[in-house]
Amino acid sequence: MTLLGRDVGEVDALVTDRYLDSLLAGRDAYLQPAHGIDEAVRLVSRRLAGDLPRFHPSFRFEERLALRLAEAAATMRLPLAAGGERDATKAPVRLRTSWADPLEAPDDEEHVDPRPFLVGGAVAASALSLAGAAWVAWRRRGPRSPMARAVRAAHQARAGQALRPAGHRG
Amino acid sequence: MARPVFWRSGAAAEAAPRVSHLDLDRPLVEAARRDPARFDALYRRYLAPVYSYAYYELGDHHAAEDATEKTFLAALANLDRFEERARPADGDGASTFRVWLFQIARNVVANERRTARRRPTQPIPENALIADPLDVEGDMIRRDDAGSAWRAVGRLAGDRRRALVLRFVDEMSTAEIAGVLGRSEGAVRVLIHRALRSVARDLEAEPESKEWRAPRA
Repeated sequence: MTLLGRDVGEVDALVTDRYLDSLLAGRDAYLQPAHGIDEAVRLVSRRLAGDLPRFHPSFRFEERLALRLAEAAATMRLPLAAGGERDATKAPVRLRTSWADPLEAPDDEEHVDPRPFLVGGAVAASALSLAGAAWVAWRRRGPRSPMARAVRAAHQARAGQALRPAGHRG
Repeated sequence: MARPVFWRSGAAAEAAPRVSHLDLDRPLVEAARRDPARFDALYRRYLAPVYSYAYYELGDHHAAEDATEKTFLAALANLDRFEERARPADGDGASTFRVWLFQIARNVVANERRTARRRPTQPIPENALIADPLDVEGDMIRRDDAGSAWRAVGRLAGDRRRALVLRFVDEMSTAEIAGVLGRSEGAVRVLIHRALRSVARDLEAEPESKEWRAPRA
């Protein structure tokens, strides 16, 4: 261990890194061999900086890929042009989470059943339930008017006759 | 602005330009997010660096083109996931679009290698140095010194080779290379130092590369 707890290899690497910064920035101040850098490393760095080529693909490839990216970008823009696809696609999820069971799995698609005929069925079921509730209420409510008492008495008499055996009628 | 962690060591006097360099792409990225068609500007800026990296890694023009195409298509499709991190509040994992793009390129190239069943340590093939007579790049590569340097780098193993290519060809900082390779800056410094020593030994052993020892003006 030497400088500030770094080992020799790290210090050498740090010196090399500083040299490369200067070399690649094109500054000559660090290009002299007096900065403690390994001579072989310094020479090979200079050589690689000058000799390693940079490549460019063919212009045909460049334009073909540019066209493909433009097409991909256009498909990404279409939903936006239609009025903001993100809100539209997320809307069913937001509606569902607003009144669904909070313990329900948020992505459980089995509970999401938007079949249209359920609407008609619900209306019919609701109408039957309302009729039943009215009938029960009418049966339990005590008679409040003479006319109602007469109707109720006639209904009970007719029901009693229906329940009696045929031989006992008359 | 970004933090001193991005400063190139030994260049404290020029710290500000180095930092602003890392934020260079922010306007273009924001424009591309608003309108995907504006991604073209980022594409034109980084086409050659990404292609160069892929070509050094794969050693084949067609494979490099495939990798380049996949890299940019993936970048465009996932642009919303990119997070600009060259801000003071961020930690050491600072990132820029260039680092993010090269991370994608690195993954794409790794997949290409797996698909082609290439060995990661395979040197760049000799026939890749024989280029079209009308090809300016090929003409440059045919120079003996360039060819031997290229071969020596191609013989390096995995991350050593990548680190040297990113440092010398794409001129990335140590911090940026660390982001691309997923290593610490210290590890990248040591990696590059050892890679340079390895290349130096390799070039010394090459019989046709005697003249490289004499430093050029």
